[in-house]
Amino acid sequence: MIEFKNVTFAYSSTNADGKSIEQGSISGIDLTIQNGEFVVLTGGSGCGKTTVTRLINGLIPHYYNGTLNGKVLIEGNSVPDTPIFETAKKVGSVFQNPRSQFFNVNTTDEIAFAAENQCCEPAEISKAITVTAASMHIEKLFDRNIFELSGGEKQIIACAGINVLSPDIIVLDEPSSNLDSEAIEKLKAVLTDWKSQGKTIIIAEHRLYFLRELADRMLILENGRIAKELTANEIKKLTADDTEKMGIRPMMLPEIHCSHQDTDIQGDVLLLEDFRFTYKDGKHGINIPRLELPASHIIAIIGHNGAGKSTLARNICGLECRCKGTLTMNGKKLKAKDRLHNCYMIMQDVNHQLFTESVRDEVILSMTDKSLTDKQKAQKADEILTQLDLAEYADTHPMALSGGQKQRTAIASGIASSKPVIIFDEPTSGLDLAHMKQVSDQLKKLKDMGKTVIVVTHDNEFILSCCDHVVRLENGCAAENCSLGK
Amino acid sequence: MELGLSSTSDKGILKLDPRTKLCLLIAISIIMVGGKTVGVEYVLRVICAAIPFVLLLTVRHVKSALIYIIILGISVFCEGSVIPNISGAPNLILMIICGIISRFVPGYMMGWYTVRSTSVSEFMTAMDKMHIPYFITIPFSVMFRYFPTLGEEYRSIHDAMKMREIGQSVKNPFTYIEYVLVPIMMSTVRIADELSAASLTKGLSAGGRRTHICQINIRLYDWLLMFGALAMIVLFFVF
Amino acid sequence: MEKKFEIKDLITVGIFTALYFAVTFAVACIGFIPIFMVLMPLIGPIFTGIPLMLYFSKIKHFGMITITSIIIAILMFITGHHYPIFIFCIGAGLITELVLKAGNYQSIKSCVIGSSTFSLWMLGMVIAFFFGFREDYFASLVDGYGQEYVDKMMGYTPTWVFFAMIVMCLIGGLIGGLLGAKVLKKHFRKAGMA
Repeated sequence: MIEFKNVTFAYSSTNADGKSIEQGSISGIDLTIQNGEFVVLTGGSGCGKTTVTRLINGLIPHYYNGTLNGKVLIEGNSVPDTPIFETAKKVGSVFQNPRSQFFNVNTTDEIAFAAENQCCEPAEISKAITVTAASMHIEKLFDRNIFELSGGEKQIIACAGINVLSPDIIVLDEPSSNLDSEAIEKLKAVLTDWKSQGKTIIIAEHRLYFLRELADRMLILENGRIAKELTANEIKKLTADDTEKMGIRPMMLPEIHCSHQDTDIQGDVLLLEDFRFTYKDGKHGINIPRLELPASHIIAIIGHNGAGKSTLARNICGLECRCKGTLTMNGKKLKAKDRLHNCYMIMQDVNHQLFTESVRDEVILSMTDKSLTDKQKAQKADEILTQLDLAEYADTHPMALSGGQKQRTAIASGIASSKPVIIFDEPTSGLDLAHMKQVSDQLKKLKDMGKTVIVVTHDNEFILSCCDHVVRLENGCAAENCSLGK
Repeated sequence: MELGLSSTSDKGILKLDPRTKLCLLIAISIIMVGGKTVGVEYVLRVICAAIPFVLLLTVRHVKSALIYIIILGISVFCEGSVIPNISGAPNLILMIICGIISRFVPGYMMGWYTVRSTSVSEFMTAMDKMHIPYFITIPFSVMFRYFPTLGEEYRSIHDAMKMREIGQSVKNPFTYIEYVLVPIMMSTVRIADELSAASLTKGLSAGGRRTHICQINIRLYDWLLMFGALAMIVLFFVF
Repeated sequence: MEKKFEIKDLITVGIFTALYFAVTFAVACIGFIPIFMVLMPLIGPIFTGIPLMLYFSKIKHFGMITITSIIIAILMFITGHHYPIFIFCIGAGLITELVLKAGNYQSIKSCVIGSSTFSLWMLGMVIAFFFGFREDYFASLVDGYGQEYVDKMMGYTPTWVFFAMIVMCLIGGLIGGLLGAKVLKKHFRKAGMA
């Protein structure tokens, strides 16, 4: 049994001036979770759901500093007073970012890692690994380099590591953020298995559809408090309108319907020809002899992990010089090198594309027009920032912004570069309903400016909210290319 | 970036214990740098130069083994036949280059062999068995894990610079370095935080004992090689 | 040792040592152009100073930088450098540790000086050219060419070059440290990350 008794927590951090500040996270939480219960925590970004998971696995107060009041108990033992090493025996954790939760390079080592830390006998660990492998069907992932795995496979490895030590309680912090629907199905299978073993599961999530049949209870948090509590029956009855009102993502995965086979595109066309590219491993790549896309529309590229979505985006952008394909736009044939001047990409991890010390400089950096004076550039930059509601942050360091603001900064630089094609790579991974809608509004704005927007995504809810056209890739080939039926 | 040890367990003909490799490294390091080119030491030098060649072949790195032996052959040939016949600056330059190659390259190649033939887990297990304290072993494994991440980060940043067309327009090399290094440093800080949190929840504790599923054993030929390495060092100092 | 190392400290050591080592390695690749090879002790620390300063800003305890130096020594050794590398690495690490401690692990001034002293480990890579190696190498040639020739060769590679390298290292480290401090102020303070 996990008990929260009037728990309040505020993170302490330092602000830009070097002063320490307290940031409230949760306040006055009372919660009891029975053994074997499956609890879903949801709510907008910053609502405090991650904090709750950290209180259970002991990262608060053992790792994150702040002021903690109230009691957190597991089986009557206070978590804050137990060394985190001890808590780790009872509580397993899966995190949001598959890239930074690994300690080892080799998959088998990583699966054994938690058990090794508890000084289990090597022979027993090996036995547990064999059992886990059989039940999760992951033999082919063994003894591999973790860096070669997809995000979904990495999350499965994280789950396998937990399975080997087999703790009674498992907390997951937005595990599906970076996964496609196929990987989410696998995650769901693992969760189902754990639930049948009687484990207590606490999962903080935005995407809820895969938890519909599993959840025993759902807590909706708002501003650090539990705003609403739903039972299993109530969860199953939730309609799309209900969830919309509550400000959470729907409980059903919306289907994408293509309007049938009227492939004639009205208006201007972007013509892709001879897009063939293979990675050095010889397995993955794309092979698209011809593809027509409508200009000044929002085009979604969908498909499973490894189908070549990101590869196609990189090739359209011109990042792969080896690609011989051409993009014809406004009657001009563009090779890879020319495409770099015409396409702008907002990457999945926007941190990699922000270089300067203020948001305004970031936007100015993109203005390559030499005829503009510095003053004109600054003026133009401020105009763009106002459009994207970033005016008040013009002098802030981009890295001091929230994830959504960083993304908008990247979009602002994209507008400033005055390139006609803007490509997004998974812009909504890990976003709650409100932020997802914000992104889709920005995409529509870009479309109104006459830009062609190409979005690589596996977020169906997002596609339905803004895209006009869908290209589905399968094994590197365009399996479907149609406008989206409304 | 191929900086780290290999990530998966390797399939070579001759599987040496990491500790044996370390012994051989020490022997080669001592003998190659100081040895004279006459007498017993000459024989020892020849043996030491041959070890990395043979070992590279056992792990099927035929290409690097051949390149190594060709480069070494050329420099030895120069030392013996070319250098005595020329004088002045070319003589000096050639002598220094050949000197570096014939003395240092065998050590580098042995190091290369060690790195390519040892998986991270073997290396960590060996360090633990040698009773190296945790405050060395833990940072070491974190390092090997972080090298590939650094490569990934660098590639994304490079792409972003290319896409934003700021690579060419930046004239000042320091600005260029700032643009590359600062995002890498930022994500280094972030990853350090997230990785620490994840490791704590997996029960990694400072100073706590842990077991290893990776098995390494000192076999008969390991003993023989270690004994051989020791004998060479003794011989080297006696003569 | 005032306080036991925590996991966070050890992971910080590992990650930043990796970053430092990778930057060193990248700069060393430029060093294959012969003219830069001579200037390596000057150029190297200028670049490596930037990540090093960020690392220093994360150090709170005694011992972390010493561990870094030991790790670099082991890594350099298993990649085929010779044993004097241990003396230089650990020596430079200990000196830097003391410099940082003098500033209570907070003073920027001592961090900059620390960046300068820490770069001295790089000399461990070239030491063999100047002392043990050179005399032995020339000595092995004595039989064939006579003492006169050996003396002439010794003249071409004077020992003072080594001391010039020490100075280059210190200056390079100092410039790197100052650059690093500037980057820290410009980016990390402003972003609230340091």
